[in-house]
Amino acid sequence: MHDSRRIEQAAAEWLARRDRGDWSPYDARALEDWLCASTRHRVEFLRLQAAWREAGRLQALAAGLPGDEVPPRGAWVLGPVAHATHAHDVAAAGAATPMRARRWRHALAAGVALVATGAALWLGWQLGGRSEADYASTLGQLRTVTLADGSSAVLSSDSRLHVRMTRGERDIELLQGEAYFDVAHDAGRPFVVSADGRRAIAVGTRFSVRRDAQDVRVVVTEGKVRLDAPPGADGRATPVSLLPAGSVATAGRSGVLVRSLPVAEAERYLEWRSGFLTFDDTSLASAAAEFNRFNTRKLELADAGVGELRVGGNFRWANLDSFVKLLEMGFPVRAERLPDRIVLHAR
Amino acid sequence: MPTDFDDWFVREILVHERALAQYLQRCWPHRDELHDLRQEVYARVYEAAARNRPASPQAFLFTTARHLMTDRARRGRVVSIEPVGDFEPSNVYLVDDVSPERWVGARQALKRLAEALDRLPDRCREVVWLRRVEELPQKDVARRLGISGKTVEKHLAKGMRLIADHLYGGMPPRDGEAPAWTATDEDDGDARQQAD
Repeated sequence: MHDSRRIEQAAAEWLARRDRGDWSPYDARALEDWLCASTRHRVEFLRLQAAWREAGRLQALAAGLPGDEVPPRGAWVLGPVAHATHAHDVAAAGAATPMRARRWRHALAAGVALVATGAALWLGWQLGGRSEADYASTLGQLRTVTLADGSSAVLSSDSRLHVRMTRGERDIELLQGEAYFDVAHDAGRPFVVSADGRRAIAVGTRFSVRRDAQDVRVVVTEGKVRLDAPPGADGRATPVSLLPAGSVATAGRSGVLVRSLPVAEAERYLEWRSGFLTFDDTSLASAAAEFNRFNTRKLELADAGVGELRVGGNFRWANLDSFVKLLEMGFPVRAERLPDRIVLHAR
Repeated sequence: MPTDFDDWFVREILVHERALAQYLQRCWPHRDELHDLRQEVYARVYEAAARNRPASPQAFLFTTARHLMTDRARRGRVVSIEPVGDFEPSNVYLVDDVSPERWVGARQALKRLAEALDRLPDRCREVVWLRRVEELPQKDVARRLGISGKTVEKHLAKGMRLIADHLYGGMPPRDGEAPAWTATDEDDGDARQQAD
């Protein structure tokens, strides 16, 4: 737990203790000492105390409730204060019982249908043993999907996956873009992600695969991934790379380049999942390409010289404007803002 | 015990917590540090304002947040131009326009409170109700629910934290996401329940 949370917890404990009814001058002094020890203590205490005081208004809601029972969730709309202003809510609450019963019947029917489908699927599994599905995300969208085997995949902007599960293998084809996989452990069925002729094979681990025009990039953040390619047309086997956690492998025409980084560093390549792009001494040309993977409004470079500027930092991919503004502030560039794109010129 | 200044702090600073939360969340990539950032922002504002009360508390709050993030970014690995940019005040006002943080009348405040209550885990909700609404003393709450006094105290402390999160910072979780700083190590389960 972080210190800040510990402080919040402690502040709550003080308040609860003061509320107990046996508060002594000695306790008061101890609390005062605690509050004076750090401004962080004081602000957290003030915050919780104010909210708790505010919570006293709940008494207004209790006034119209029958009995002294703790009301079920949502029942407060029946209280007199809310009554006048939430007539429709009250009506809905009144109808709740029959509706709930009906919903149950539906759920039951759905359950039966599910069992039936499940049985059919199971039968299909036993006979043919495969299931297939396609997943896609649009430009600027991140999408998390759960695959049939319980693994999950996060699709980056503008990406496509084709998934085929069989009894012996889990085949995922990355048709476009990038995806991050959290693989459910199943030693009997390797999890194979193929992209542009390269295959990344895992059993239970976390990694991402991404396709670019020229190459395929694999980032491993947990476990091990084997990277290989099927034998070429000349029958020569291609070398196999074993990638431990922290690896960033780039496989191109000419071979595979593997960089071994601390896992935390490798994870920076995956910050797109939380909305960020991370650059570290990256050419503006590649940074622009990166932004363009996520946005419909494209960033274009009018001069080669502009593309060679080096940038670093952590940027929201959705916030192209602020990135461009920064470039204008920090570099000799001028931005021409057009509706569908922003063009950067040397200044 | 609360001083005039403490009241000022609650009234003029804490009311902006939701906007502050959104601002920090947008600018700072490390979610697990948001809670700590917020607390330090408050502490800095409290100390500075105790010496000299700012004319525009809200602007002062956001400026403090921006400076703190810049300081931390400088100390951390991200030593680039970025901090200045995404932390621009223009963003702040944008955020704030979306969700004006003043309490707008009693009705809305009540509604928000009722929501906060309903989001508490079952037992915690019962304890809070009996103590805060029916005003039973803690030991009667314990007897009524057949639990120990220590447990009542624990539920109350938790209820206080969760209610504060909902009233001040706890954004209505959008697309199934738990509010940034309600999930603590020891009550993951509750945080999930909250997001329901």
